[in-house]
Amino acid sequence: MLRYLAYSTALGLVLSGGALAQEHDHHHDATDVTLYRVFVGDHADAKVTAFDLDQPANRWTFDTTGQSKLYTVDNGGAVVAVQSDDDAVTFFQSGISLHAHGDHSDISVSDPAAIEDTLTGPRPFHLIDHAGKVVINFDRGGYAAIIDAHELSHGELESTQLQQARAHHGYAAPIGDLWVTSVASDAPVEGDAAPSRIGLQAVNADGTPAGDVATCTAIHGEAFSGAYLATGCAEGVLTVTDGADGPVMEMLEYPSDLPAGQSTGTLLGSKAMQVFLGNYGANGLVVVDPVDEPHFRYIELPFRRVDFALDPANARYGYVLTEDGSLHQLDMLQAQITQSVRVTEPYSMDGHWNDARPRIAMAGDELVMSDPNAGLVRRISTETLEEVGTIDVDGQPYNIAVAGGSGVDHGAEGGDHDHDGHSHDHGHDHGDEAHDHDHAHAHGDEAHDHGHDHAHGHDHNDQVYQGYFEDSQIADRTLADWEGDWQSVYPLLQDGTLDPVMEHKAEAGTMTADEYRAYYDVGYRTDVDRITIAGDTFIFYASGEPMEARYEADGYEVLTYEKGNRGVRFIFEKVEGDEAAPQFVQFSDHAIAPQDAHHFHLYWGDDRAALLEELTNWPTYYPSELSAAEVVEEMLAH
Amino acid sequence: MIRQLSTALLCSVISLPSQAVFAQEKLQVVASFSIIGDFAQKVGGDLIELRTLVGPNGDAHVYEPRPADAIALAGADVVLNNGLEFEGFLDRLITASATKAEIVTLSDGIETREEPGGGHYHFIDGQAVFHAGAYDPHAWQSVANAKIYVENIVEAFCAADAASCEAYTAAGNTYLGELDDLHAQILESVAALPEHRRTVVVAHNAFGYFEGEYGIHFISPQGVSTESEASAADVAGLIRDIRDQNAGAIFSENIADTRLIDQIAAEAGLPISGVLYSDALSGPDGAAPSYIAMMQHNAQVITAGLAAD
Repeated sequence: MLRYLAYSTALGLVLSGGALAQEHDHHHDATDVTLYRVFVGDHADAKVTAFDLDQPANRWTFDTTGQSKLYTVDNGGAVVAVQSDDDAVTFFQSGISLHAHGDHSDISVSDPAAIEDTLTGPRPFHLIDHAGKVVINFDRGGYAAIIDAHELSHGELESTQLQQARAHHGYAAPIGDLWVTSVASDAPVEGDAAPSRIGLQAVNADGTPAGDVATCTAIHGEAFSGAYLATGCAEGVLTVTDGADGPVMEMLEYPSDLPAGQSTGTLLGSKAMQVFLGNYGANGLVVVDPVDEPHFRYIELPFRRVDFALDPANARYGYVLTEDGSLHQLDMLQAQITQSVRVTEPYSMDGHWNDARPRIAMAGDELVMSDPNAGLVRRISTETLEEVGTIDVDGQPYNIAVAGGSGVDHGAEGGDHDHDGHSHDHGHDHGDEAHDHDHAHAHGDEAHDHGHDHAHGHDHNDQVYQGYFEDSQIADRTLADWEGDWQSVYPLLQDGTLDPVMEHKAEAGTMTADEYRAYYDVGYRTDVDRITIAGDTFIFYASGEPMEARYEADGYEVLTYEKGNRGVRFIFEKVEGDEAAPQFVQFSDHAIAPQDAHHFHLYWGDDRAALLEELTNWPTYYPSELSAAEVVEEMLAH
Repeated sequence: MIRQLSTALLCSVISLPSQAVFAQEKLQVVASFSIIGDFAQKVGGDLIELRTLVGPNGDAHVYEPRPADAIALAGADVVLNNGLEFEGFLDRLITASATKAEIVTLSDGIETREEPGGGHYHFIDGQAVFHAGAYDPHAWQSVANAKIYVENIVEAFCAADAASCEAYTAAGNTYLGELDDLHAQILESVAALPEHRRTVVVAHNAFGYFEGEYGIHFISPQGVSTESEASAADVAGLIRDIRDQNAGAIFSENIADTRLIDQIAAEAGLPISGVLYSDALSGPDGAAPSYIAMMQHNAQVITAGLAAD
């Protein structure tokens, strides 16, 4: 036993197969990566082109049914192509996933891919991405399709329907546990004329009313920001918050100092500050503050507006393109234009709203703009408003969406974009980058809505579990966290009980089941079959022979693994007991502050520093009260 | 003097357009939430122009920053915040404002308490919302810590406005004296309780520093383990704790809705003994318009609840 301990000095707390695989995965170096991937829908042809902004030779083309309006959803993990005139919706995995981890984000990159399943139905139009749901209104179907955003990023289309009383050009959105939907008048119409729209109503998931219809004449356009949903009406902007007794609606009427006879029909919501930017007439915009007065601040534009966007990285700025070909930077705090630069040839707003004109989208510190007549996507620096490059796109590039961001790629190998199979279980995503970033930074202070909070709590723990945390999160732990009677899982590996676990890892991972078995054979190996911890006393049973000693806390050490993630070893030193008992034990688990362990890796030996170097052998213990089958179940659950 | 200043504080939620016309000789101060705002006003008096972001009865945890806040930050000389991950909204607001102000973290120098479960719950609209963090951020619940906050404010104001340093120091010292009296009062009122009447129940575990300083034991739903969803607080476990530990009183809070605490009280068979102020002051007509009033109120409500055997 003693001899064994001498060379098996290291120990890690076993957390999950995933965490172990990361430690093991030494040939992958972590690399800082900034990647924006642009999706462009052609105006005339039924196709979507995707390319990497910095490496446009990385390019993919997807056939669709018709012209696509594009939306990035689930924090950029997926892109949705809504083909209103062709009754179809196509979905893509963007190939970029970002996961916030405290002081940084992880990015993993693969090729974009069309999701096999599509949605068809009568005239899909407005799309909302909120609280983990993508909601697409089918204007002539009388329902909204509700899609699980997170599953979409993983290539799965799971959808249900929310029924509306009468089909109309509208939308539905989740508010807390309920929904709101736009409502059409029930007055008869001639032929296939669209019914008029009268307001917004809270409904249950089965479509039954959960409140009265709030008046919002000709309701059109909607966005979320902070605690609010805002929607445009003839009378003003109707705001919705999640109150204690369901959605609370309040009309912010247009003040008399706004130009008369016009209204807001398109709204964007800031991701980092509670404020909206809406259109107002053909050559105006309004900054809408749902809380402070003035609720509306009008920005007059020199020409008619073509398209506008908000900067998710810096809530201060928005951008608008006008028909003379000028791009204007807007200061959302001052509600004024701060810079204007000519970026393209003029595109008159005379004609149909859906004629081929430029569309803009944000990509980090750049703005990208489709230029259909030039067959280009233009890259414009948000710092200087100067063009920094152009990308040729065949045909007439029109609608545009951007996925991506900055992160650390733990699976980067040269230019190979293979997904390395190390997947973060990131729970529910919020569907917007800025929130994620701030939330991660703030560790739970985000709170944009309560759904988000929950999601974040989960994410936060997950990131600690995966080895991403800040020093300030670490706290001393006592042996109480590991008190109990523990069995080694090594015998279960040897007798084949854990074979299903190895098979499971092989399905998700990069090695075969046999390779995993060999890996864990080294990892789990020990002759200490059982350990009991009561108060400060350990009893080690080495091949059945007990060995007892008392231990006291000796602090903790933070280890940084080659993958870039970290672990904390909580160390205890022997104060008295059997000579043969190790001088030091080091617990390593995903927890970095006091909490009860459900299983752990333990390193032990007489050389404290040498133990910290040990990374390959980490005897692993589960509660003795668990049967072999229960241990398997526990392992499969991770 | 003190009373006047506290009135000034309560009127300090300044409307946005007036910001631009403030006479610039006053030190422009932004405080992240109401309790810090009170401290700042006590030290700064009429030498400062104060804006408090999260006002009376507001919960900083779920605060949504507004354009007016970014404008205030842009014009600030000094921004006072608690730190310990209490004000999650502040970083993005600082980005949007591009402020050049000194960002002062008032909890610097206190002895931090760990969060036993890696965080604590807030209760909003009937839901338990987990606020993760390694340290308990509610340090002001100990008057000893509040004194460190005040000292940090004096230092920050002196650094930003050396010409008025003497006045800040004098006002700070006066206020520190009042805080010493407050501390003694609370100790005295708790000491008068019977030994076995020291355990109370709150939903939002914001009173760890009060417990450490004054010996009242607070029980509340525990934080989550890393392996469970953060969606549901362990209410059943709390009910067991209440019975096991023979808790004497249960309190609701000014910043939280009462649905969950009502449920806990009903299941535990305890009446709700009053409202505690944890993360925010009350409005001017409420029970806790200033920090001192808040701590007096909390101590009085807790000791009254425990005395009523």
